[in-house]
Amino acid sequence: MGIMGLALAWETRIPSVAQRERRVEPFRGQIAAPDAAEAGRAEDTALAAACRSGDLRAYERLYSLHGARMKNLARNILGSPTDAEDAVQETFLKVQRGIASFRGQSSFVTWTFRILVNTCYDARRSRLRKKEVAADDEQQRDDAAPRPEPHAAVAHPSLRMALERALAKLTRHQRDVFLLYEVEGFRHAEISSMLEISEAASKNTLFQAKKNLRQMLEPPRGSYAAGAR
Amino acid sequence: MNVTCKDRDRIFEDGTAAEWIALEGHAETCASCGEELRSWKSLSLAAAALRDHAESPALWPRIHQALTEQADAIQARRWSWRSLIGNLPLSWQAAAATAFVAVLMISAGWLLRPNKPPVQQGSLLKSKGLTEVEHAESAYVQAIDKLAAGAKPQLDNPATPLMANYREKLLVLDSAIDDLRAQAGQNPSNAHLRYELLAMYQEKQRTLEEILEEKR
Repeated sequence: MGIMGLALAWETRIPSVAQRERRVEPFRGQIAAPDAAEAGRAEDTALAAACRSGDLRAYERLYSLHGARMKNLARNILGSPTDAEDAVQETFLKVQRGIASFRGQSSFVTWTFRILVNTCYDARRSRLRKKEVAADDEQQRDDAAPRPEPHAAVAHPSLRMALERALAKLTRHQRDVFLLYEVEGFRHAEISSMLEISEAASKNTLFQAKKNLRQMLEPPRGSYAAGAR
Repeated sequence: MNVTCKDRDRIFEDGTAAEWIALEGHAETCASCGEELRSWKSLSLAAAALRDHAESPALWPRIHQALTEQADAIQARRWSWRSLIGNLPLSWQAAAATAFVAVLMISAGWLLRPNKPPVQQGSLLKSKGLTEVEHAESAYVQAIDKLAAGAKPQLDNPATPLMANYREKLLVLDSAIDDLRAQAGQNPSNAHLRYELLAMYQEKQRTLEEILEEKR
């Protein structure tokens, strides 16, 4: 199975894929430049201390550094920009409430993202519960109404939609690790801390996630032949 | 460094930089690995489609407002305690402190009092209650067995370290449940043992649910 086997015409959707792929380095270096790493740690510690002191400018700094990434991750987990914004806001409020209990076992940013991921799943659960209640009500009203096939609307999905659909079928851990590593660019050491799993488990989960995604995005055998006819 | 087709998946999962370079070299002469490598990398490229770090100008003001309100509320709670204690005259503050110490000492005395033989009437199940507990337990165990049957394929062949950990945990839980059931068999009216058993069953249920959730 190769790229030609994937359901999407990757090359047409990512025009420069052929040129860019030579430069892609799947191995993400574990060792950052020592000075940069040290500076990053110092900034992280200072940010945590400033937030603990109640300085709202520190929260603004946290937002300016990571807000966009937080919102993107939340949107990919929750599937809606509005819910994502709510989740990011709730995360900031939880950070403010819980900062006194932050002991620095992990980095402050990692801790914040862990709160965000948990907040997103809390929101998903409560949304599912609401949907179940609404579905029960609706079923009572109208059992016979025809419903659209879930896949009918996405017969020719965009790359993003296809990926979102495939991601939704992964397990929670696989989805989280894929989003954090491949989309948000975190390292396995950071992901392991966010999701409270080992680094090896993070690597293995990403491997399984990518294997499953590839399988899902592969077209049924013979579809090219059928398409050619 | 020499790599072969057999090394490919391992390198995909946890390869070093040198191994990736070696795999790229190998892929130039191996069509199958070339395809696999290309497909693997294109997933990483495609992930960019999910990356949208655009600014949301209205979001920060909203968060700032919520943070300010929450900070004020926290501050107000702190002040209400401080003002309550701080406004008392010194003599009242001393009296309150003395009363607090006295309560503390009485509590400590109560907790450290010599133990009398426990009266176990409340914790011994009467025969009718015992029958009900055993019926409920048997229904609960059957329900958990159904969950266990659903999770069995994953546990028999754990695909991830997480699943292997779940299997270990379930083995430990099953062993603890067996011990407790043996003890409860010798002393069927002991409610404490039944509660411990219930806690173990609940933990097993939770674990199985997590496994089934992973499956989905």
